[in-house]
Amino acid sequence: MASLSLQHIEKIYENGYHAVHDFNLEVEDKEFIIFVGPSGCGKSTTLRMIAGLEDISEGDFLIDGVKMNDVEPKDRDIAMVFQSYALYPHMTVRDNMGFALKLRKVPQAEIDAKVDEVAKILDLEKFLDRKPKALSGGQRQRVAMGRAIVRSPKVFLMDEPLSNLDAKLRVQMRTEIAKLHERLGTTIIYVTHDQTEAMTLGTRIVVMKDGIVQQINSPEHLYNKPYNLFVAGFIGSPQMNFLECAVEKKGADIFLDMAGFPIKLPADKAEAVKDYVGKTVIAGIRPEHLLDGRGKEKDFCTIKAPIEVRELLGAEAYLYFTLGGKQCTARVASDVDLYVGMEGTMALDLNKLQLFDKDTELSLLWKEW
Amino acid sequence: MNRNTFSYKLRQILMFAGPGTILFFAVVVVPFIYGLYLTFTSWDGVSAHKPFVGFANYAAAFSDGAYWVALGRTAIYSIFAVVFINILAFALAYLVTSGVKGQNFFRAGFFVPNLIGGIVLGYIWKFVFNRAYVAIASAITGGMAISPLSTTGGAMFCLIFVSVWQYAGYMMLIYVAGFMSVSDSLKEAAMIDGCTPSQAMRNVTIPLMRSSFVQCIFLSITRCFVVYDVNLSLTKGEPFNTSVLAAMHVYNQAFTYKNYGLGQAEALILFIVCAAVGITQVMIGKKGEVEA
Repeated sequence: MASLSLQHIEKIYENGYHAVHDFNLEVEDKEFIIFVGPSGCGKSTTLRMIAGLEDISEGDFLIDGVKMNDVEPKDRDIAMVFQSYALYPHMTVRDNMGFALKLRKVPQAEIDAKVDEVAKILDLEKFLDRKPKALSGGQRQRVAMGRAIVRSPKVFLMDEPLSNLDAKLRVQMRTEIAKLHERLGTTIIYVTHDQTEAMTLGTRIVVMKDGIVQQINSPEHLYNKPYNLFVAGFIGSPQMNFLECAVEKKGADIFLDMAGFPIKLPADKAEAVKDYVGKTVIAGIRPEHLLDGRGKEKDFCTIKAPIEVRELLGAEAYLYFTLGGKQCTARVASDVDLYVGMEGTMALDLNKLQLFDKDTELSLLWKEW
Repeated sequence: MNRNTFSYKLRQILMFAGPGTILFFAVVVVPFIYGLYLTFTSWDGVSAHKPFVGFANYAAAFSDGAYWVALGRTAIYSIFAVVFINILAFALAYLVTSGVKGQNFFRAGFFVPNLIGGIVLGYIWKFVFNRAYVAIASAITGGMAISPLSTTGGAMFCLIFVSVWQYAGYMMLIYVAGFMSVSDSLKEAAMIDGCTPSQAMRNVTIPLMRSSFVQCIFLSITRCFVVYDVNLSLTKGEPFNTSVLAAMHVYNQAFTYKNYGLGQAEALILFIVCAAVGITQVMIGKKGEVEA
């Protein structure tokens, strides 16, 4: 296994399009790194530069301290799982999995033994003589994984490997990948636009937007301490609620005017916005931190708004309402008896409140990653 | 409206399949059957009377030495032409899909010879071989060069050369489609698996282009076996009838020597040989074919 170092990586295409800006990342051995971000944010481009499928315009990429910028993909000792799986349709599963070893002139008996071993891990033994066309999506995905594992590479690269699967299979395969990482102890770099995949799989997540790294941290850190408005909005489902609030000082206390509802800030939050008195900040509160506030008005700051939509998901329900002209969501237990047309009273868990500068969109609470 | 009635279904069938069926019968089935009938007659191609002669024309065709020589010559011509057409077409397709600057211009340019009719193409190249080549070769050697069309081997070489020139651009388009049907991720997967460009071509790209090879080889075989126009305008069977291909022999038999029935029988044999070779090749080629 291996450590990777990406130093000031830039990708500028011939037409002048700047796809990746000053990308810096140190990947430790056995880490599971996730690149996440919306379409076109540069995450796949970065992965392809690591694979050697795209040239690096500027900066250095090292594996185990050896510069790889000009090394051919075949000589980087990496394996990649593609979004489309990229299985060779004219080869059987066995041939697909053993192809890389065959190219390296590994003896056939050794290839067969290795393929059989990996097929057993991935429960593919029954399908070894089939061609990819005769496999289901999930089986193909496992073959693609198997083809990568057979080679025992230094680094696994995965480019949205679950995006072609249906929702149920995706959850199943996600668990399989997590188990596989535990079992093989490999360094994995995984690209996805699905923040749930990112949160559940990664040891560290790289959030990207417009080719620029927004934040690199553990899933818990990203969730609880988003560095800017984009990360706060991108991580978490349903998305964090954002409201523009005027900061007011009344005596020794600092309040936020949240669509007409005065919210008294706790000491640590008040300290963060003390320079913004008389100005506007953006307050962010996750749907799960908006509680059914009926009868809790004395203990919590509350807001009120009529419920417009109620979505029951089983164990929980999403309540949609409009506050200060913005659509907001609350995530409550399904037995909370708030229905469409009723006046909802929501209590805010102020310990979880996030605050952002309106202009720079940077967090007022977390100054560093 | 009741859609289960026979008349409704018949109307539907006639409306959708009728025009095509009528056209197919009018221009393929009926002429073929009529041609088959003519092989059993000693018709001279002109008179109203078509005397029935049974299998005499087939017997004559099998004993027509010149025909079998022409057919053998056609087989040799076809083997060389098919091989070189496909090699060149594949190379051109590789070139114009490799991201070279102006590749659309090159695609159009390589296809142009196919747009020029065989007769015109033959005359153009006849001029090139007889005049331009002779003038240039004479100037270089300082002696009196002769046209390659005037020698036995040279005429056949010229026929093959011009056919390759004519058909390579057309086959190139089929190979271009084949190249483009192989997804980039497969080529990239091959590179990551450890393939050199030539290994990726041999192990991934070419096997996935099998259908393109089947189509191109079938088309080039069938075209080469029945080539007539280039043969007529470029060599006219000369020198000493050593470049007469099967189609030209059949034409001469029917229209020059007025043995229409015999010519028709020989044409039918040529068709059967051509179809047998083509279908065998397709059947072999189709085995193991996969979608890219």
